[in-house]
Amino acid sequence: MFRQIFGNPRRLTADYASARSATAYTADGRVQAGVQSHRLNGWSLLAALFLALSLMPAAMAQNVKNPGVLVHAADDEPTTLDPAQVEAGEGGETVILQVYERLLEIAPDSPDLVPALATEVPSVGNGLISADGLTYTFPIRQGVTFHDGSALTAADVKFSWDRVMTMSLPESSADTLNDIVAETRVKDDFTFEVKLQRPSASFLNGAVVAMVSSIVSQDAVEANGGVAAGQPNPFMTTNMVGSGPYKFNAWNRNENILLDINDDYWGDKAKLNVRIEIGSEPDVRVLGLRAGDYDTIETDPSFVSDIEGAEGVSIHTGGLLLEPIHIGFNLNIPEGKLPAEDTIPTDFFHDPRIRQAFNYGFDYNAFLNGPLAGFGDFNPHYIPIGIFGYDTSAPVYAKQDKAKAEALFRETGYWDKGFSVSVITEEANLFADAALVLKDSLEALNPKFRINVLAVAEAVFDDAHAQNPIEYAMWVKNADPFADPHPYLQSYQHPDGEWGEVHGFANGYKDSAKIAKLIDDASVELDPAKRAALYSELQKLLFDDPMWLIAAQEGVVMAYRSWVKGFAMQPLWPRPSLKFALFDK
Amino acid sequence: MQIRDYIIRRLMVLPILIIGTSIIVFSLTRVGGSPIGIYLSHEMSPAEVAEIEARFHLDKPLPVQYVYWVSGVLRGDLGWSGVAAAPVTEIFPNKLAATMELAVAAGLIAVALGIGLGTFAGARRNRLPDHVIRVVAVGGASMPLFWFAILLLIVFWVHLGWFPVGRSDPNIFASIAHPTGLYTLDAILAGSFTALRDAIWHLVLPAVALGYGATAIIARMMRSSLVEELQEDYVDAARAKGLPERLVLRRHARRNALIPTVTVIGLTFGFLLQGTVVAEIVFRWPGLGRWMADSVLRGDQATIMTYVMFTSVLFLMVNLIVDVVYAYLDRRVVLGE
Repeated sequence: MFRQIFGNPRRLTADYASARSATAYTADGRVQAGVQSHRLNGWSLLAALFLALSLMPAAMAQNVKNPGVLVHAADDEPTTLDPAQVEAGEGGETVILQVYERLLEIAPDSPDLVPALATEVPSVGNGLISADGLTYTFPIRQGVTFHDGSALTAADVKFSWDRVMTMSLPESSADTLNDIVAETRVKDDFTFEVKLQRPSASFLNGAVVAMVSSIVSQDAVEANGGVAAGQPNPFMTTNMVGSGPYKFNAWNRNENILLDINDDYWGDKAKLNVRIEIGSEPDVRVLGLRAGDYDTIETDPSFVSDIEGAEGVSIHTGGLLLEPIHIGFNLNIPEGKLPAEDTIPTDFFHDPRIRQAFNYGFDYNAFLNGPLAGFGDFNPHYIPIGIFGYDTSAPVYAKQDKAKAEALFRETGYWDKGFSVSVITEEANLFADAALVLKDSLEALNPKFRINVLAVAEAVFDDAHAQNPIEYAMWVKNADPFADPHPYLQSYQHPDGEWGEVHGFANGYKDSAKIAKLIDDASVELDPAKRAALYSELQKLLFDDPMWLIAAQEGVVMAYRSWVKGFAMQPLWPRPSLKFALFDK
Repeated sequence: MQIRDYIIRRLMVLPILIIGTSIIVFSLTRVGGSPIGIYLSHEMSPAEVAEIEARFHLDKPLPVQYVYWVSGVLRGDLGWSGVAAAPVTEIFPNKLAATMELAVAAGLIAVALGIGLGTFAGARRNRLPDHVIRVVAVGGASMPLFWFAILLLIVFWVHLGWFPVGRSDPNIFASIAHPTGLYTLDAILAGSFTALRDAIWHLVLPAVALGYGATAIIARMMRSSLVEELQEDYVDAARAKGLPERLVLRRHARRNALIPTVTVIGLTFGFLLQGTVVAEIVFRWPGLGRWMADSVLRGDQATIMTYVMFTSVLFLMVNLIVDVVYAYLDRRVVLGE
């Protein structure tokens, strides 16, 4: 918003600078005598002083600000700090990642699993996964204490997982455990055992490292409301008693969350306290970074031009986020519910040629080089780059092919008769941009095509998006991030999965049973090579039978003050994909 | 009618207005979307949605939900804020204090500067100070608040580093007790100069940004009223009897010029409250306005209801106060007729 009116703040500074230099070189180096009256001299001096002060380089303030504290400017505020209530991708995960620990964690610099509260990563080879793939044994680290001083044992681990499954809050990610865990058991004080309902190739990467599987202090929970089925625990919603490198200090609503270094941490201790500043506008976060008051900020690629080259600011741009931006095709449109301006029949997207034509018609480069400022890539349906199973040889819709789009629309008869369809999206973000690129792409292809972009407030979109069936033919959002391919394919491609049911994929897949079988088989295939081959086949099938238009996989863009040492970002961690305990300044 | 009788009559009508407002606001809020939208996701089964609805009594008919809401309000339970993840009653006082502190600071700036500049300009009609003040006033009245606010941020936060954003340094804030929630007042009560300086330091930019527009409105009104009053016969009479110009201005013209200005100041209060939404968002001020904006965007209806009702009642009270002050300043006004 600000940049549309002001332009780049640095350009504003440059304008000031050029104005100053123009004044300096006029009339033999003298101020234009006679132009200014004596009366104005005072005002001129004031103005000059104001201008000079405003031009003082930020270098004056380049000493490390807020020493001893890492200040992170976050995008939004958590709705809960309880692992048993938090939803995947929600702001609370940012804090849970720092304060709680899981049995295993994802390494900072690779997708490998590393021991955390468990001392070994289970595998068939080390005997911690049974031969039938159903029983997992976790040796629990000894000498770990929670922030309330109680000792962590296998009983706390069992309690934490059972608590999630007992509470089973609808808004939570409890199904991550409910769907796969058959039984939990304490073998001894420091051995925890899990029996699964069926073999799972994604249990460790999908469930064990998820924030919902964080280990909480049994003593703290039982002393503050205990566990009740279907009921949130108000204490745990707003307090945290974990075992991680940070202790929870305070949550000042709409203002900040304060975390203190845990001096009793069993591993490498954090070096800085943390202050998470909540909910600044994106423009203000950028200004705060430039001012040096924020050390790290959450932003998106469209702000790179505002930050690039700013003194004392570094930009981390390696890798890709694991949340592909996708446009959904609804194959389950209820009769008579579409917006009045839509002319498409309810079975419009049942025809795979229509879905292919949309995919060919989208101007991917316009989206990548426009709103994403070049930071991103295209991934095949539907495994993001960076996730196990991603096949570099799989076909990708990455280039607009107008001829193919036209041919497909002609085959279906829509080229001549045209159509009008609405796409709903949140307003003023990358999703709205993707919708607008779709509109421009298809309307430029054929003037008889009309794409109505309904850019609405977040709450309105969430309301529409949460319906089943959805009363719109198309919508734009991003995928939830996962560390394993199975949740992506189960959620976004399986005919009986979350979106398969809502969008009615069974109405449109050429071979629904085959796709379901491939996804199911891959989920229980414990041999990585065979599993990868199954995903490779899936990606080829899904290219021909797309259920989504994947606009792009957004690039990682994280801006931070150059005085932050040890900066590391791992897209497999919940956003903003940072562990503050690794940083110093 | 006596002022006391008038106030009593207005106070008696107040509950009816409040109940009527609450019914309208409650109905409109419910029409605006699902009150549990903040919790909903497509992953939920109908049974899970029903479970959340039952948690908040949303499975009942609308009039019954209204009764639940009213009975909750009477018990001091304003509902659960999904945005703040806490009961509204727990969060509201602190947010209100933050907003009031900002609005009062901006209001003080606006009233002091507005009346001062308006008087200064009106007394020097068509001279340079008058022209300058009019230009400044036009700027304040026409400049969008968000634009001016970001301009202040760029200059005084990014380039000069003189003033911060936010409400406080968390460490200093935590070092004193907060019996009133008003940081400046709490700092004075605690006798902490460091906290007081921190409070004022954080207050400057948002208060200036918010107060500028109101200053402009008040200054313009004060100037034009004063110019009008200075042309009245009674002013000539005062001058004719030998009163110094300073006293003519202070004792006669300015007092009368204040009458329409006070009305504008009352209306400006609404302007300031509206402005706090933008100022709080830009300056990360943790007040009601920012909380409300988040709540609207995320469909947090318990917060929306509370805010709208609070604002409505506040406006009713402010209007009453303005009417009474107006009558006090202008004895020709007959209340209630």
